[in-house]
Amino acid sequence: MDDLLQEFIAETQETLEALAGEVVAWEADPGDRDRLDAIFRFFHTVKGSCGFLNLPRFERLSHAAEDVLSEIRSGNRSADPATVSAVLGIMDRIAELAEAVAVGAALPDENDDLLIGALSARDDKGSAPEEGPAASPVAGQPVRQGGAQAVPRTIRLPLSLIDQLMNGVSDMVLARNELSRQLRERSGDPELESAFERLSTCVADMRDAISKTRMQRVDRLFTAIPRMVRDLGRELGKRIDLVLEGGDVEMDREMVEMVVDPLTHIVRNSIDHGIETPEKRRALGKPETGTLKLEARQSGNQIVIEISDDGQGIDTQKLVEKAIAADRLTRDAAARMSEAEKLDLIFHAGLSTAKQITAISGRGVGMDVVRANVERIGGVISLDNQPGKGLRIMLRVPLTLTIIPGLIVRAGGLHFAMPRAAVVEILHDNNEMLRIAEIGGAKIATIRSVRHSMIDLEDVLGMEKLPQSSPRTIMVVRSGTGVPYAMGVAAVDNHEELVIRPASPLIMASGVYAGMTLPDNGRPMLLLDAAGLANAAELPNIADDCARRQAEEEEAGEAATEMVPALRFEELSGERRLIKLSLVERVEDIDADLFGRSGGRAFVRLDGRLVPVVNGVHSFDTPHVSALRIRDGAQEACYPVAAVLDIVDMPIVPDMVAMQGVLSGVSVIDGEHLEVVNPFALFAALPGEALRAPSRGRCVLADGDDGWTREILAPLLRQAGHEVVLGLPDDAPVDPRDIVLSSGPDVAKAAEILGCRVVQLRASPRPSGPQDGSIYRYDQDALMAAIAGAGR
Amino acid sequence: MEQLYLLATLAGTRVAVETGEVEAVVRLNDISPVPGMAAHVAGLSALRSRVLTIIDVSALIRGTAAPAAQRGFAIIADISGHSYGLMVDAVHDICQVPDGGLPLRGQLDPAWLPYARAIVEHEGQPHLLVSLASFVEMGSLAQAA
Repeated sequence: MDDLLQEFIAETQETLEALAGEVVAWEADPGDRDRLDAIFRFFHTVKGSCGFLNLPRFERLSHAAEDVLSEIRSGNRSADPATVSAVLGIMDRIAELAEAVAVGAALPDENDDLLIGALSARDDKGSAPEEGPAASPVAGQPVRQGGAQAVPRTIRLPLSLIDQLMNGVSDMVLARNELSRQLRERSGDPELESAFERLSTCVADMRDAISKTRMQRVDRLFTAIPRMVRDLGRELGKRIDLVLEGGDVEMDREMVEMVVDPLTHIVRNSIDHGIETPEKRRALGKPETGTLKLEARQSGNQIVIEISDDGQGIDTQKLVEKAIAADRLTRDAAARMSEAEKLDLIFHAGLSTAKQITAISGRGVGMDVVRANVERIGGVISLDNQPGKGLRIMLRVPLTLTIIPGLIVRAGGLHFAMPRAAVVEILHDNNEMLRIAEIGGAKIATIRSVRHSMIDLEDVLGMEKLPQSSPRTIMVVRSGTGVPYAMGVAAVDNHEELVIRPASPLIMASGVYAGMTLPDNGRPMLLLDAAGLANAAELPNIADDCARRQAEEEEAGEAATEMVPALRFEELSGERRLIKLSLVERVEDIDADLFGRSGGRAFVRLDGRLVPVVNGVHSFDTPHVSALRIRDGAQEACYPVAAVLDIVDMPIVPDMVAMQGVLSGVSVIDGEHLEVVNPFALFAALPGEALRAPSRGRCVLADGDDGWTREILAPLLRQAGHEVVLGLPDDAPVDPRDIVLSSGPDVAKAAEILGCRVVQLRASPRPSGPQDGSIYRYDQDALMAAIAGAGR
Repeated sequence: MEQLYLLATLAGTRVAVETGEVEAVVRLNDISPVPGMAAHVAGLSALRSRVLTIIDVSALIRGTAAPAAQRGFAIIADISGHSYGLMVDAVHDICQVPDGGLPLRGQLDPAWLPYARAIVEHEGQPHLLVSLASFVEMGSLAQAA
């Protein structure tokens, strides 16, 4: 008997849920026979079952509703709104009763007669109630495939059984991992391994299948909506056309539960504050019936739920005024705010655009709570506001609550998980963009001139900070309320997909943990709650003056353009100097043997070219010399130094201008006086034309367009240290020292006229005749000898 | 009324627990501490793929945490859908007590008052009949306070 009762209650509740939408749809289209039948069938079933189970109140209610519905079916009565309301009232009462029976509470003692009376209120035709309501039309009703009531075959399972299954599969996976470890340690028997492989695949498949049992159609999320929209619309005298789309998208069961509240709230808001009354809409030239659209779709591993209406949108000006009135914002700051920032105010606690608090929404629970709820499950909420035209709210929530990408952080010798979605930025505390100041026990981290409250995870959790050699890691964390803060941890170790399970209430009560996870190492790990930590640390939750911050950032940006990165180095003579980093092409260690002196000038041979040395030094004690390769765009020079220290920011104009030799002045960097090298003087002191290896002229390759010349000959010559010019220079004079390499005789002749030496190349290994002075083009030795000979 | 009881020593006191409440008794190996919690939450421990919240009962009763060396056995219980492990000093026996619970007599230590429900006599020794759920409930109260 007990079992039967439980089953009846569960079935009734489920059907009721599914029917709520049907009734509303039926009201919109009373001619819809399918829906009417479905509702009728429900009451009929309830009536039949409760007679058997001895539940007189159920029986009376369902009987009355069934009577009315059968009248409508027979066309004696129309489905006017009052009737529908009355039928809905009965359904609600049945739901209440079912709930009461389910929990074993006393049945709410309310007068059912009122409801039944409401049913017959419009019953002016006074037709006699049908006795023994027609069971035959129900039985004989063909079930239309594809109709709204086509339900896939399902069975009802207790959730605990599914959880048990999940746990069983998790155990299995762990056992498999252990087995695989043991198998790896022992010698590889291919047969054993392939059998294990098969088992492994089965386990993985099973896990996938079991995880699917957790999925639920978004339809479930939408079931309560039509009813709510209808009731609210009637209450507020607004006409609303509800569009539901994407109900077949599936998401995690728990996620559905978590999204219901925010979604309900948004829909309420939309109807209450968004969509205008028909009169107002008419006056505005909009259709009298407002449209509310709910759409769900899957996007990657996220579910996007979009709620859009064509109402009045959010009046940001009103929001700003409210914020100012509530002392949350100064007029100054408000004036600087962008439209998006103003819109963002809707998420601040205690601000609502509703002029007056109504019963529907605006009871102090506002969008701030909605956002907090959405973010708690790792979701994101965004707004698309078109004042006067409508508002679109997008909820992006992860597909499943149970698997989230997380960062593994270390603090106080323990590991914790942090939802990846909550972390905005990670940097080490020795990063130059970061400054940490401590004042009166409070820590403030300034990152790129944005100030954040800072907490150390160890401090919040009451742990000891262990000494460590490596720099600590600072994470910028976005808390539930949207004000980011900085959190210091010993290190961020890893990035993993984590299977999150709820922690026991004892642990959740602390408020700083959001759940726990069991990683492969078998040591349970706690998931941190970003918002909870901020609360626990009692961080001030100030609506940041974003505009000022931005202005500051811009200022800082301008300041930064006046600062230029510079290389700090030590001269061979020991002074520390700065040189503009953009001049330095690279820093390299050069063999001291490559330095030389010629004609009073020091040079160094680099990549087969002679490069002048700016400070004229050419002999060194060490076999290798650190050198800066500097370039002014065209000219290249080498600057041997004792040591390259680091890169710093220096003001573009030295703090003290003192043009003297190669120096332009002195700058103070980090309290150290440094001479700044004047690049102008540096290059001005270089010899006017590039130094040339005395023994070598340029190699002018006449057939510059030829593939072989370009791809094979030119690199070969460059490797050998020759300067290579592709093609005969059109305008530049051909230097008599140049050697022209050519495969065609005519070019050779022309070059000879110009007075250049020519090396002729041929493609065939054999000379064409005794007079042929050309060289086979793959005869490297001969070629090199010819070039060297010609150059002499 | 024949009722099965698990007899154990908890915070130096002999106690009896109705076996209906007990899921298992395991030897504790690794406990991952949970920082920021009251002393009686010893940490988390993995039992196969389940994660147990380990409660140090002696910390709850005496206010001092059990030394790590004494961490031996834990009684596993499923309390309102979550798995808990309650650390005990020792587990002695599971037996039937013909008399069942006897009313409490004498002046009970106030620390035990919230947990003790009755006295169970076994082989002439009185045992306090405690409910595991009460430790968890009082645990969360103690924390909230």
